[in-house]
Amino acid sequence: MLFKVQRYDPETKTSRLDSFVIGTPEGMTVLDALFRIQEQLDPSLSFRYSCRGAVCGSCAMLINKVPRLACRTQVAALFGTPTASRLKPWRALEARADWRPRTEVLVEPLPNLPVLKDLVVDMTRFFDHWRVVEPALKPAQDPPDKEYPMTPAQVAELELYTNCILCAACFGACPVNDQQADYLGPAALAKLYRFFLDPREGENDPRLLLAHNPEGWWACQFHTNCRQVCPRGVPPNIAIGQARARLRRLGKKPLDSLDHD
Amino acid sequence: MDLIHHEALVIGGGLAGLRCALALLEAGRDVALLTKVHPLRSHSVAAQGGINAALGNSPDGTDDTPERHAEDTVKGADYLADQDAVMAMCTEAPAAVYELEHRGTVFSRFEDGRIAQRPFGGAGFPRTCYAADRTGHNLLHTLYEWAIARGLRVYEEFFVTALAVADGRVTGCVALDIARDVMGGFAAPAVVLATGGYGRLFTRSTNALINTGDGAALALGAGCPLEDMEFVQFHPTTLAGSNILISEAARGEGGILLNKAGERFMARYAEKAMELAPRDIVARAIQTEVNEGRGFEGGHVHLDLTALGASRINERLPGIRRLALDFAGVDPVAKPLPVQPGQHYSMGGVPTDADGATPVPGLYACGEAACVSVHGANRLGGNSLLDTLVFGRRTGARLGPGLPELPAPDEAAVADLLRRETERITALAVREKGTKVAPLRAELRRLMFDHFGVFRDGAKMAQGLELLAGVEARAGEVAVGTAGGPFNHTLIHALELEFLLAIAPAVARGALAREESRGAHARRDFPKRDDDRFLKHTFAFRRDKVELEYREVNLGRFPVRERSY
Repeated sequence: MLFKVQRYDPETKTSRLDSFVIGTPEGMTVLDALFRIQEQLDPSLSFRYSCRGAVCGSCAMLINKVPRLACRTQVAALFGTPTASRLKPWRALEARADWRPRTEVLVEPLPNLPVLKDLVVDMTRFFDHWRVVEPALKPAQDPPDKEYPMTPAQVAELELYTNCILCAACFGACPVNDQQADYLGPAALAKLYRFFLDPREGENDPRLLLAHNPEGWWACQFHTNCRQVCPRGVPPNIAIGQARARLRRLGKKPLDSLDHD
Repeated sequence: MDLIHHEALVIGGGLAGLRCALALLEAGRDVALLTKVHPLRSHSVAAQGGINAALGNSPDGTDDTPERHAEDTVKGADYLADQDAVMAMCTEAPAAVYELEHRGTVFSRFEDGRIAQRPFGGAGFPRTCYAADRTGHNLLHTLYEWAIARGLRVYEEFFVTALAVADGRVTGCVALDIARDVMGGFAAPAVVLATGGYGRLFTRSTNALINTGDGAALALGAGCPLEDMEFVQFHPTTLAGSNILISEAARGEGGILLNKAGERFMARYAEKAMELAPRDIVARAIQTEVNEGRGFEGGHVHLDLTALGASRINERLPGIRRLALDFAGVDPVAKPLPVQPGQHYSMGGVPTDADGATPVPGLYACGEAACVSVHGANRLGGNSLLDTLVFGRRTGARLGPGLPELPAPDEAAVADLLRRETERITALAVREKGTKVAPLRAELRRLMFDHFGVFRDGAKMAQGLELLAGVEARAGEVAVGTAGGPFNHTLIHALELEFLLAIAPAVARGALAREESRGAHARRDFPKRDDDRFLKHTFAFRRDKVELEYREVNLGRFPVRERSY
């Protein structure tokens, strides 16, 4: 199988597309393939990894033009599932590459973040945006002696969002993040909404105001790429829609991102 | 080169490291955390099934107590655990769970709104609190949120290569800044190792790829012995091939094990507890079925969840279903999962007291990197997350107030180490000729699994030690073969291989010398437990070669009995 891997050399600040041919036994993931390339063909290839089981969020990258976790992506499954065509296009999707989608694997760094080396991106902006939403519980009063009571239904609703592993696949897939660098992005907004929903939280509505701005709730254009690429099934688009509805009920007006300077 | 100063350095950003750092912050200390990956990428995130605490929330366990939890833990440990430390852990368990709940962790609930509890191996009733099958993930994200809100200083993607020692005291460390490709020297009067276990010493492992025993190797390099390294837990149910963990919760929720003939074979190994016998017993049962020809081709048995039905699987084990679909192409709702034993947990580690102190002044440890010992010869499911939170907190809480009285760090020693390590690692990074890292590492992992795995015997281990010596001999000439530069992961792999090789002899020699079977250490040539000779902890020292000494187990509360389930 022919793998085409986007390389970036931070010293010379140059990019190139490298080709590697490797065997792809049944069950091989793209992460396995990258290790095989690194171990047998080019020890200088860089990419992040840790759990290899789709829970740690290290290895989100653009694989055949779809942001995915390399560890969760079976090489064989890349062919015959045209997921890319369902995504709303953004620059990274449209960037031409010398690549045959039916027979080759194209691996590029996660879009919408600066590349540091090869497939390693700088996550600073992603986590800066995460910090903006003040992601830590702010309970209304001192905690009870035991647990706060919570119903299984409340847990089920929260779990939709606590399942996020902060891999940034959604951030890399979002056409708005592509155009607007200060847009908080799907993961940060989903995180904010998770704290808004939390029955233990004391500042539910005030929290929503943290993103009541042109970089927050109102920047989303509901392309739903975020939900489609999420490896954990998190629906940021639903959180954003519900947050906007709540803000409207609180008498807040939409803030158009195009109006702000 | 300027040195970086902090009052305390915590190495490792998983649950134990973060909880320890938070306790130090709460004591008003200037603490920094160094981690080779972003904290959220730590292996804690992968813990699935749950965390034990005698909350008594389950209708089937309302009379649960910390004492009963401790008794189950000690028995599960095959009596090698230190009973005072076990009591401390189990007594603090409810507070540890409530604390994280108060900080935001979303636990699964019973209908009455209280934290749900499920049965796990080694207890007789539901004691394990959980967040579906993503308990570690939920806890780690909460602790990270809390730590960042408190302003914790994190050196992300810093790989610690050595500890600085002066006059027998740890006084700082040296680390490779992976993103900038520079070495840095850190001076501090106290260093806490919270680097996790050494699972990747074995070819089949559920562990993250980053679990390479860094803390144990760093401690050994600083003159600290290692405790009970031969005790390595093999989890019974890992997906055949990828060895991705299938949580004990799958059996706790009602999953059964079947061999090729469709027989529920656990009846022959643990008549009463069946699939919920402790992990060492179930792992050996599966391996025996496979070895005696009753497994499926490829060396596995079946874990059958189909009786649970789609709705229960989706509610309680959604992550398991996803993993099975993604990594084995099997939907557990419809078909049984192919499972085999794989390395899962390191009971051994850096010896500490119940407050994280090691035998070396200035050096502390907590979590899986440490050996307190609360898990003895076999850890019970649900006790590792608990260990990280309780002993992470205790380590920070004990260390914090006394930090200002500790001797100031020896800057000259750190600077000297920084010079030597920079020279050594620069040379290693560009070495072109020699053995490649990956094949040598694969050889090491294979031999450790084959010769020091689920079943052990003297002759096979002696042969394993010879093979190990062969790998060691070639390790001196490892070639990285890159031009250097940032994110040099092949260099990281070479450094991790050095760590694995540093600790492998402690595992191997400890196992060979322990002529008995206890917990996860199962010898065919010594199938019985031998309390007269071996109811004691192994301490491995690195002198000219690895030397073993033994220490008493802290007994007293629970009498040592036959272990049957």
